[in-house]
Amino acid sequence: MAENMSVVINVNGAGREVSVEPRKTLADAIREDLGLTGTHLGCEHGVCGACTILLDGEVVRSCLMLAVQADGAEITTIEGIADGDALHPMQSAFSEYHGLQCGFCTPGMILAGIDVVSRNPDPSPQEIREEMGGNICRCTGYQKIVESVQAAAAVMSAEGGSA
Amino acid sequence: MTTTQENRWIGVSAPRREDAPLIRGRGRYIADIEPAGTVHMAILRSPYAHARINGIDTAAAEALDGVHCVLTAADLEGIGDFPTIWRLPGQKECTTPAFAPGKARYVGEPVAAVVADSRYLAEDALDLLDVDYEILDHVVDVEAALADGAPVINEDMGDNTIIEYTFPGINALGVAGDIDGAFEEADEIVSGRFKVGRYSGVALETRGHVAEWDDLRQTLTLHSGSQVASLLRTELAAALGIPETSVRILTPNIGGAFGNQWDRYPEDILVSLASMKLCRPVKWIEDRREALQATVHGREQLQEWQLAANSDGTVLGLKGRVLSDQGAHLHSVGIGPAWVTGAAAVNQYKIANYHCDVVGVATNKTPNSTFRGFGGPEAMFGIERMMDKTARRLGIDPAELRRRNMIQADEFPYFSPGGAVYDSGNYPAALEKALEAVEYDKVREEQQSLRDQGVYRGIGIASYIHVSGFGPSAILGILDYYTGGYEGSTVKIDPHGRATLYTGMIPMGQGTETTLAQVAADHLEIDIANVRVVWGDTDQTPYTGFGSAGSRSNVAAVAVIKAIEEIKAKAVRIGAGLLEADPDDVAYADGRISVKGAEEMRSLSLADVAQQAYWAHKLPEGDQPTLEATYVYDPANFTTACGTHVAVVDVDIDTGKIDWVKYVVVDDAGTIINPLLVEGQIHGALSNGLGGAMLEEFVYDEESGQLLSSTLMDYLVPSFTDLPDFEIHHLVTPSPHTEGGFKGMGEAGCFPAAGALANAVTDALSHLGVEADQTPVTPSRLWSLIDQAGG
Ligand code: FES
Ligand code: FES
Repeated sequence: MAENMSVVINVNGAGREVSVEPRKTLADAIREDLGLTGTHLGCEHGVCGACTILLDGEVVRSCLMLAVQADGAEITTIEGIADGDALHPMQSAFSEYHGLQCGFCTPGMILAGIDVVSRNPDPSPQEIREEMGGNICRCTGYQKIVESVQAAAAVMSAEGGSA
Repeated sequence: MTTTQENRWIGVSAPRREDAPLIRGRGRYIADIEPAGTVHMAILRSPYAHARINGIDTAAAEALDGVHCVLTAADLEGIGDFPTIWRLPGQKECTTPAFAPGKARYVGEPVAAVVADSRYLAEDALDLLDVDYEILDHVVDVEAALADGAPVINEDMGDNTIIEYTFPGINALGVAGDIDGAFEEADEIVSGRFKVGRYSGVALETRGHVAEWDDLRQTLTLHSGSQVASLLRTELAAALGIPETSVRILTPNIGGAFGNQWDRYPEDILVSLASMKLCRPVKWIEDRREALQATVHGREQLQEWQLAANSDGTVLGLKGRVLSDQGAHLHSVGIGPAWVTGAAAVNQYKIANYHCDVVGVATNKTPNSTFRGFGGPEAMFGIERMMDKTARRLGIDPAELRRRNMIQADEFPYFSPGGAVYDSGNYPAALEKALEAVEYDKVREEQQSLRDQGVYRGIGIASYIHVSGFGPSAILGILDYYTGGYEGSTVKIDPHGRATLYTGMIPMGQGTETTLAQVAADHLEIDIANVRVVWGDTDQTPYTGFGSAGSRSNVAAVAVIKAIEEIKAKAVRIGAGLLEADPDDVAYADGRISVKGAEEMRSLSLADVAQQAYWAHKLPEGDQPTLEATYVYDPANFTTACGTHVAVVDVDIDTGKIDWVKYVVVDDAGTIINPLLVEGQIHGALSNGLGGAMLEEFVYDEESGQLLSSTLMDYLVPSFTDLPDFEIHHLVTPSPHTEGGFKGMGEAGCFPAAGALANAVTDALSHLGVEADQTPVTPSRLWSLIDQAGG
């Protein structure tokens, strides 16, 4: 087995250092070494989007990357998007519009939703469906997720588009 | 009921109390649980569809640094199998073992397990296991499995027929039809042969457990995503040979279950056994490939139906044969789903003469067992396709044919020749409402002109019944279903007047915690914020006979109401003593206990009375201290949710692609507790139903017996762009059989979905005579049908 390697990542605004096997996925490192279990694993082969995080501002699937590849990067996970006790508008909208049932896809959906709105402040339902097509939900049939993202987009642009 | 503010919460879209942690990433799912000292299990599964296991060399794996133990069938001495709890008469005996019993019978059957410091390491060790397999002939097609000379999958059964069960067409009153007479008399006989594809819940969270054996106390704590913790506790203790009192099941958040988590699985035993062996916590999380191979599949049936009708459209009789592809062995519920198919196939129609043979067949595939819908969607697919075929044959509009045969609103209770008793509903009203919503006549008119422009638009109607609230225990007994149909609820009022409700139900995403709190708040007439719901711990919560299912909250809700009635009666007795009044003159209303007619002057709050109940200084004779009650409710009858869906689609005849135009739902699920959550359940069930109608399929290679769809790249679940916006309308016919009028509805959306879609596609291609009789109606399958039809 290869020697562990040290990886420095800025996680939700704080610098962290972990020592991981080179073969460890970023998703596993986030969950096991950083203790942030809000990032979920639904497939571990890049299809479902449950493991979605933001890495240097881009959405990525953390199951498809190795932790060592994230050395020096800045990542945002679901745990890092609320401002203290104040929820991110996307979080509030998911709850208000019933955009979640079991909640397993939800962290990935919320991050993907934030990403969509950051690129398109006023997305149509069809645009949301197309843009978020890489995230799977088995519970909701998607309609209420679309409504949630639309509602959050309205709040976010009213607040000045800050994600 | 003496209520002044009845239904403050029931009928309201109360926000979900489940959401707060989930939207923050602070849910606690099974994979998030890791007690100190946890070691990790990985499972070696058969790569062959059918192979004798002549030996397993574990030495190299055991020698690997960081490996704690290797388990094989040799370690199962004294360990029992999980039983099949639905044992119909004539069904051959069949159980679920922890490891393949001497031979593997499907790709994915557990063969050995390794426990190591990390999951990565455990998987390394799997590669070092050397299994001596002797490959046997396999069979993955249900008709081939019944043919002479087919490889026999379970030798002790003699052949691959597990059971042949006949529905003779006798209703619950003992009235028998005359099926032969009906077919002789009929003007037309219409036949259909349908293949209902194999698919399943495929929850986004895979299965998993963490087992903690405490050797000093001799107790096993199992963190598990099971939907039926009570049954799991009973059966797991029996399998492990330890007292049930030693087993505690804790349920964390569940990332979707869809019925699949209702079953007991080999890994439930394996992870527990490993923990008992090592005296430390053992964790097993299924990976996606395992989830597709080894979590139960659902649905797959080959149906043949014949329908006898008069030329005026009156359906006289229905007879059929349903071959249920059970996979390698019966799982927890046996052929239960296929039995339900036979019981439900006459659907909403007055078909007096009925006969159906259901055959459970073994094949070298993953067991086919519990999945949202449980035989109902299969039945609805067959009958609704038959209704459309009949309509076409007779030259009657499909809506009109349904209209002419539906059970009318004044004909309940209706005793169906499938044996079920339908409690209530208004089927014609649901149909008319759906037709109106979809603008049926207008779409029909447009259809022709669109076709001239090369747009192939189709309209598909499918009506359904969903027999739910499973069920009165006595009836389960008659059906040889070895579990009860009851739900228990304990309600405790604390000395400050707040309520804690203990339920055996397990929230799996459908918002059970919120809906039960709504019911409790309304019936106690207190603020919902003062109701806490406790679930997911067999040490605290009542035993549930049947466990959680999307369609069970109606039964659980009644248990809550009944327990609260006892509490209110006791509060009145205690209150009357304190108010120095006759209990008959005292009433519970608005969360207060008051002398009737003097509510302003002589009245106590629930907290006042609760405090007295805890001090117990002055209790009425015969009353025990504290203020709590437990009620175990056994439903008096099944409830039948019902409705009609209409799908409108355009088919691209060059590619076989289906585009959505509209999807209209009219549902009748009795009294609705939380409209927003009900809508969510309908959407979700529809996505399960349409997934299997259009995309999702476990495909097996005939040649090798391999499961070809064992990643989410091959097993296609519907994505954002595959599903339409659903338009939902409700009718409310309260169930006469349940307190509160609730009917179970969490599964209903998937019942008519495949029928509606297939009818729409067939309608769109009627000029070609293409019939969508096999699900899923994938673009490639549809394209070949179009191609064969010369389109
Ligand atoms: S877990 Fe990463 S995409 Fe599914
Ligand atoms: S809410 Fe369950 S998978 Fe999306």
